[in-house]
Amino acid sequence: MSGPLPQFLRELGFVLLEHRGNGLFALLSPVPAWLSELWSVAQDSHAEIPVAEKSPFLENFLFEADAFWNANNQGLFRSETWIEKSPSRKEIPLEATALLWEGKRFLALYSPEEQFRERTQLLQTARNALLVHERLQREIQKKEILLHCIIHDLSQPLSVMSVAFDCMTAEQVTERAKGLLDLGRKASDQQSMMIRDILQVFSSDLKASLNAESKVDSAPDLLACARSVIKAFTPVYAAKDVKLSLEEYVDLQGQWRVRGEATRLERIFSNLLENALRYSPSGSTVTIGLAQDGESVKAFVDDEGPGLPADLSPAQIFALFSKGKEGGGKAGLGLYFCRLTVERWGGAIGCESLPRRGSRFWFRLPHASLQPENVSESAKPGSSPKSEEPLLSKKRPMRILFADDQTEIRMLTTHQLERSGHHVVSVANGQEVLEALQREPFDAVLLDEDMPVMTGLQAMRAIRQRQKEFGPMVLIALTGYSSEPDRQRLLQAGFDSVIGKPFRLDALDALLRGASPELPAPAKQESPVKVAESPMQSLLERVAGDEKLALGMIATFLRDTPKRMTALQAALKRKNAKNLASLAHAVKGSVSIFGANAARDLAEKLQDLARANEFQNIARLSEQLKEEIAHLEANLRVYAGKKRSLRPGAIPKNKRRKAHPKRRSP
Amino acid sequence: MIQKKICMLGSFAVGKTSLVRRFIESIFSDTYQTTVGVKVDKKVVQLDGKEITLVLWDLYGNDDFQKIHWSYFRGASGYLLVADGTRRATMEKAVVMEERARQEIGSVPFLFVINKCDLVDEWDVDTELEARLVAKGWTILRSSAKTGEGVDEAFCQLTRKIVG
Repeated sequence: MSGPLPQFLRELGFVLLEHRGNGLFALLSPVPAWLSELWSVAQDSHAEIPVAEKSPFLENFLFEADAFWNANNQGLFRSETWIEKSPSRKEIPLEATALLWEGKRFLALYSPEEQFRERTQLLQTARNALLVHERLQREIQKKEILLHCIIHDLSQPLSVMSVAFDCMTAEQVTERAKGLLDLGRKASDQQSMMIRDILQVFSSDLKASLNAESKVDSAPDLLACARSVIKAFTPVYAAKDVKLSLEEYVDLQGQWRVRGEATRLERIFSNLLENALRYSPSGSTVTIGLAQDGESVKAFVDDEGPGLPADLSPAQIFALFSKGKEGGGKAGLGLYFCRLTVERWGGAIGCESLPRRGSRFWFRLPHASLQPENVSESAKPGSSPKSEEPLLSKKRPMRILFADDQTEIRMLTTHQLERSGHHVVSVANGQEVLEALQREPFDAVLLDEDMPVMTGLQAMRAIRQRQKEFGPMVLIALTGYSSEPDRQRLLQAGFDSVIGKPFRLDALDALLRGASPELPAPAKQESPVKVAESPMQSLLERVAGDEKLALGMIATFLRDTPKRMTALQAALKRKNAKNLASLAHAVKGSVSIFGANAARDLAEKLQDLARANEFQNIARLSEQLKEEIAHLEANLRVYAGKKRSLRPGAIPKNKRRKAHPKRRSP
Repeated sequence: MIQKKICMLGSFAVGKTSLVRRFIESIFSDTYQTTVGVKVDKKVVQLDGKEITLVLWDLYGNDDFQKIHWSYFRGASGYLLVADGTRRATMEKAVVMEERARQEIGSVPFLFVINKCDLVDEWDVDTELEARLVAKGWTILRSSAKTGEGVDEAFCQLTRKIVG
């Protein structure tokens, strides 16, 4: 090659070679500095170079270049960028281009240093951003858990304060005291609002729920999300010899757009699929299905595993840090986040064992065509999703069936409700609720969510199934988990209303009577007892100074607690996590009534560890709890002794009322 | 002299380049430098008295910006499948890549390396998936390009698998 062209190519950083056969290439242009450095070729060399031997990358490229040349193709065939290292370890980016010209085979090599630098910078920025994004997502998830725990712990004492204010307001107090009570009530209400505001501001999941797409055109397509995760998970499933597929009957042309956001929907499916795979035996099949469900779409993941764990209720499976007895799963966060996300979009989530084998995890979301306002209205706390009517008629005292496994709470709540003029029957679990309903009718049933034998949720479902037999009634959930998602979960499950424990008397009254002005005035104590003796303050405030009731509750506590603690020690010895969690829950409830916060916290920790099946620190906690309870018992004995000496025989038996004899006609 | 081509496969930022640098040059940098092109390097190893030249193809991480050209695996004797032990998703992506590699190049010896094992506090490995893969016959090693732990072992074990 002659003229200015060879020099021009060199200035551009190119070197042109022609294929001469046997893997040898002749140089047609002067050798640029980079090639000289790389292959130690003299700048004015005319030698033929065995290119493939010089570079493994070019050896690979020439396979494809040969195919290109042999096919007599027009145009160019380019390589991607690759990097060669010079003897001095300097990295030199290179690109190769093959072309065919008048039957001759040419190879151009080029070092695109500047473009390479720019491209590297661009990709570096993009990938750094992706890494930051991944890290942030992990951080956000951790912070959300922390936030949830903090909010939960902050809210609990506030609820107690509210109950105390309620009880005190009902007493005959001076105007000045009324003013102070009002001040206290306002401050606790204000703090409740602040907690809600904190949640609104800092919870990104909540933000996502507010931003959830609901317009049909832009809303996520559940079918597309399902297909996307099936594609992503198929190899992982194949690794365990589990088949993953979409249900055959899913209408591929159907309207599957729902309220939500596509990435999070895929995350929900992913969590459910990970969970299904964890329990799926080799050779089994997991299927994703979609079905229209009124104004919602229901999606489900069915597996052929062992079914739901016997040690956990469906509600517990979706709780924070929940893990099965077998210890499967990771941190117990995946399903919890599924629940949070679905519920914040106005949907519901659940699971059940399938009749023959395996389990079904499902979630339901409103159709995208539904306006968000409609969704959120129906899911508002305290409002019935089934009707706009007040929960109950306004005119009469009500027949209330109250179920809680803790004697002290039954006594306290019964007392509060009776003071409002209601007839109350209290029982200890869901099974006893059904038995009581068979005996007589009730206007309202208050069900604690977490009870042995039969939980509140199970009882509610059983009642709904036999609604005709039992007649109309309002079903209210009492829950220690009083966050908004928990409320919505219970409402979606079928409760008419939800109230957090411990609840405010006026809130319960308003709930029961539809905020009626005809509320019967709570019975006033003739001579309210003002006692400042610690640790009785908390209890007396709760029972509005009813000393008789307080002494009854102390007697019950002193009678039941040693039994509970013995059972708790036995459960601990046998490492029976289910019993241990249940007993710790009961202890927590009973000591809270006496304002024994240290004991309450220890019992709660014990309960959490037992639920997480973590026995490492339980023995130490249990010892601490024993000490705290011994201290509380001693204080209560001293107090009860003093009062007995003043009013002998004052401790009454447990105030459990007989069932109302009159049966309502169906 | 025996020469064997080994490819590095895995998501971006899992430490493929760092593993190669640690193996060849015994150096490590904490700064993440993304790999844009393909880097080819060589190292001679002694195995049972035999001298083997390993030609290491350090491929860029497969992601939305750059897709792997499977033609780079032509003539490969084996590959190291790399995941980042602090990013759970990279393990799942590695499983997907292995499946794809099997479709593209057939059954070739490989070793699954879970890198960054020095980051104990951030370690987030799906142990169930790991156990399933071991049960399936995968060889899994933990490594740290930073400390050098498991690096030579990974390359040597793979070479042994290749040579037989």
